[in-house]
Amino acid sequence: MTERRRFRSLFTLVQLNGLIPIRTQPLYLVNLIASPLSFLFFIWIVSKGALLAYGITGGMVLTMLSVGTGLQSDLTHYRQDLKFQDVVVASPVEAPVYVAGMALSELVYSLPGLSVFVILFVVDGFATPTSVVVLAGAMLLVWSFATALAFTLATYFQDVRETWMFSPIISLVLTVLPPVYYPISSLPSWARLVAHFSPTTYAAGLVQGAVGLAPISISGAVLDWGVLVGFTAVLFVIAAVKARWRDL
Amino acid sequence: MTSAIRADHLSKVYPTSSSGARALDELSIDIPPGRVYGLIGRNGAGKTTFVRIAATQLAPTSGRVEVLGHDVMTEERDVRLRIACVPQESRPLYFLNTEEVVYLYLKLRGLDPPEARRRTRDALDELSLTEYRRRSVARLSGGLRRRVLCAMVLASDAEVLFLDEPTTGLDPIARRQVWEAIRRTSREHRTILLTTHYLDEAESLSTRLALIERGRLMLEGTPEDLRGRVRYPYRVTVLGSYPRDELDSYGRVSPIEGGYLVFAREREARELARRALERGNRLSMGPVSLEDVFLEVVGRSIEEEAPKDDGEEEAVEA
Repeated sequence: MTERRRFRSLFTLVQLNGLIPIRTQPLYLVNLIASPLSFLFFIWIVSKGALLAYGITGGMVLTMLSVGTGLQSDLTHYRQDLKFQDVVVASPVEAPVYVAGMALSELVYSLPGLSVFVILFVVDGFATPTSVVVLAGAMLLVWSFATALAFTLATYFQDVRETWMFSPIISLVLTVLPPVYYPISSLPSWARLVAHFSPTTYAAGLVQGAVGLAPISISGAVLDWGVLVGFTAVLFVIAAVKARWRDL
Repeated sequence: MTSAIRADHLSKVYPTSSSGARALDELSIDIPPGRVYGLIGRNGAGKTTFVRIAATQLAPTSGRVEVLGHDVMTEERDVRLRIACVPQESRPLYFLNTEEVVYLYLKLRGLDPPEARRRTRDALDELSLTEYRRRSVARLSGGLRRRVLCAMVLASDAEVLFLDEPTTGLDPIARRQVWEAIRRTSREHRTILLTTHYLDEAESLSTRLALIERGRLMLEGTPEDLRGRVRYPYRVTVLGSYPRDELDSYGRVSPIEGGYLVFAREREARELARRALERGNRLSMGPVSLEDVFLEVVGRSIEEEAPKDDGEEEAVEA
């Protein structure tokens, strides 16, 4: 398959699973921003505005993870219920193109939510060249590992109901336990230890450091990037080895 | 000449099978290019497993399959460039309209938009779907959805098409429209592997057929070949009373309403026809149908397997 054809396949998937469903059912857009905005509202009320900045940065991370959980459900539904993945497997479309196209299509859903957070981010005066670069890089990595995780899990689920069970668990492990919505210093020491097993801790640490919410040293930032990139790479390797494009 | 599909000692045991039963058992088959090839067999005979392995959707346990000379396990990219498949239980994406299902599938395969648009228009027209082109798939009947899927792959540029029970749920007119589209496609020197439970469909469309039972190839050849390879290639319907013990001497007898159906060899069939006419019975006589062949071969297989399955010799006699 030529590169031109690959790109055409990729953008067709974005159109097919992103743009057209939004056209036919605009409520999909509200669905994906509901959770991050609810968290933000809750944090704003409880902290009387003191933790609003954490809510904004955390909301962006959660939105990227929501792309992963949404992708997991869609991939399972397409594979098990519609047999669409079988149709795609028996075609020139390669697995990485399919996954990338589907992940990009999920990103389309999250754009309105992200726009809200970006506006708040700019209005609150967090947007500097450094913070924007760090934010974009961290979110790209969160989106990437959430995609790899979603694809791997989706190839094992037998029913879309199983994804409903896993999504809250993934949210709990990646956004509630780790200090995505609050400073890591507010966690008890044992919980801090646990949080370091989650990649989102490092993503949140980088973003919080870049906007000046929590101090971060150069060596600390290098370590955080290293762990985040390493975790994403490991998940991609697991996806390449363990995800089932062809059934066994 | 390179085969379109060639399987060599192909076996499949599903990892989830607790009994270790073989879905395919040393199946070897050679499907020539540019034809419609029919795969028939009971539910669970192994048809879909074979299609899924050949379409690179499922890994075999052992053996080898080649599509257009490329191994499906080691050269799957080369295979996938040249195939298209309608899986047995597939459904079109419900939020698309009819036209989008076909057009986006073709674009997904990498076709240029103008070419995809032209092929979409032709396919919808051929399968009488043009009037539904703007209608959401969610609002189509089950039969129309199946037709949309057929249009999708028949409109593709694939050289080998896998159609796994493509006409299930279609009314007789829609079935014939799909048949016509399949025939037209095969005239373009493309190969179509068709699985079906409708034996009239298999016979009408297929140049060659394979009958699979319990993962094994039981019969293979043209419809004529298959009819000639059963024990009793003729069927005689005798209406009115006739001594049953005498009928039994001609071949295999099945009682039917108002008479008997006798499967016999040619000489015995002619003899029976002559006797029956002399006795004043009404009768009809002709070669067996594909359904008769199916019932005889599959029935024999069930009888042979019965003692192994339940370990009771009585089952054979019963």
